Amino acid sequence: MAERNGQDDHSRQKPEASRERDDERLRARLNTLSSALDAQNVADKAAEAAKREPVRILPGSIGNAMSLAVRVLSEFVAAVLVGAVIGWWIDRAAGTSPAFLIVFLLMGAAAGFWNVYRIAMKPPNPEG
Amino acid sequence: MAEENPMDPIHQFVIKPIVSLHPLGIDASFTNASLFMVIVVLAAAALMLIGTQSKALIPGRLQSLAEMAYQFVASTVHMAGGHDGMRFFPFVFTLFMFVLFCNLIGLLPYTFSITSQIMVTGALAMLVISIVVVYGLIHNGKGFLKLFVPSGVPVALMPLLVPIEIISFLSRPVSLSVRLFANMLAGHITLQVMGGFVVSLLGAGLFSILAPLPFAMTIVLTAFELLVAVLQAYVFAILTCVYLNDAVHPGH
Repeated sequence: MAERNGQDDHSRQKPEASRERDDERLRARLNTLSSALDAQNVADKAAEAAKREPVRILPGSIGNAMSLAVRVLSEFVAAVLVGAVIGWWIDRAAGTSPAFLIVFLLMGAAAGFWNVYRIAMKPPNPEG
Repeated sequence: MAEENPMDPIHQFVIKPIVSLHPLGIDASFTNASLFMVIVVLAAAALMLIGTQSKALIPGRLQSLAEMAYQFVASTVHMAGGHDGMRFFPFVFTLFMFVLFCNLIGLLPYTFSITSQIMVTGALAMLVISIVVVYGLIHNGKGFLKLFVPSGVPVALMPLLVPIEIISFLSRPVSLSVRLFANMLAGHITLQVMGGFVVSLLGAGLFSILAPLPFAMTIVLTAFELLVAVLQAYVFAILTCVYLNDAVHPGH
């Protein structure tokens, strides 16, 4: 009986242990991959910096600026829309026609500004 | 409708069933959208499989394309998510390649652009957000909810700020899907309208000398659409990384 229990314990532990081993293996793989990537990135950045000095306006920078603009606009509009939908939904369920719509529209606008603020406050990454 | 007005700019987005399937009353027909999704997946898989076959030290065209795509996404994921973010690399890479190929193949004449359907982009965005929520809850437990509680704020302001944070979070899938869909839809409509101008001017007697103008515009717009197609796939991928990063490290 005791042996049975022990076996049971063992078989229960096994998936746990193998998952841990998998995690360990994944971590090791990630380590080698990321150290190789880091080295590559440093080399890439140096090469890019050397290339970038003479030419200020790259074709990519217009794309970056545009994607940032589209992102800011869509994040703001989306927050307002989500707020409006939530407010309209509560109103329809509770029968308090414009009250919640107005409140959540304002909150959506606040959330939109918050989204934009968050984009603007991020350290300027090359990804924009 | 197509017979009535061949220059209708919306006509290109109509979904037509190829094989009609209605199991259990659900419309699961194999449509032109499904067909092009299969084509997109096959094309992306072919690029990666054929590109990585030779494993040459000096890569050929396909191999360097495959390697470029891999390295581009890998560095993007690493930059946004850091070390722990790399476990999402397969997901982000799949998503990026799918959206990129949808956008690019949709630009070819006579094709159907899948990413101009809000249903498709919405499903992709919901997939991303579901993974963020599920992984965040499994990985961090209740700590994931710290995402909605800004740190260093007086308690009195919490009832106001927490709903704002929740709305802000809910707006993510909306903005993610609408951005991609709107960009592709607007671009394709613009191209179609410009092409329509060429056709109508050619049939307008003396005014047909003006026809090269919208034709030149179409060429410029096609190049611009190429930029938008790649850019939007990139933006979709990078924002996926940013949102997944929130799941790995909640609380800003």
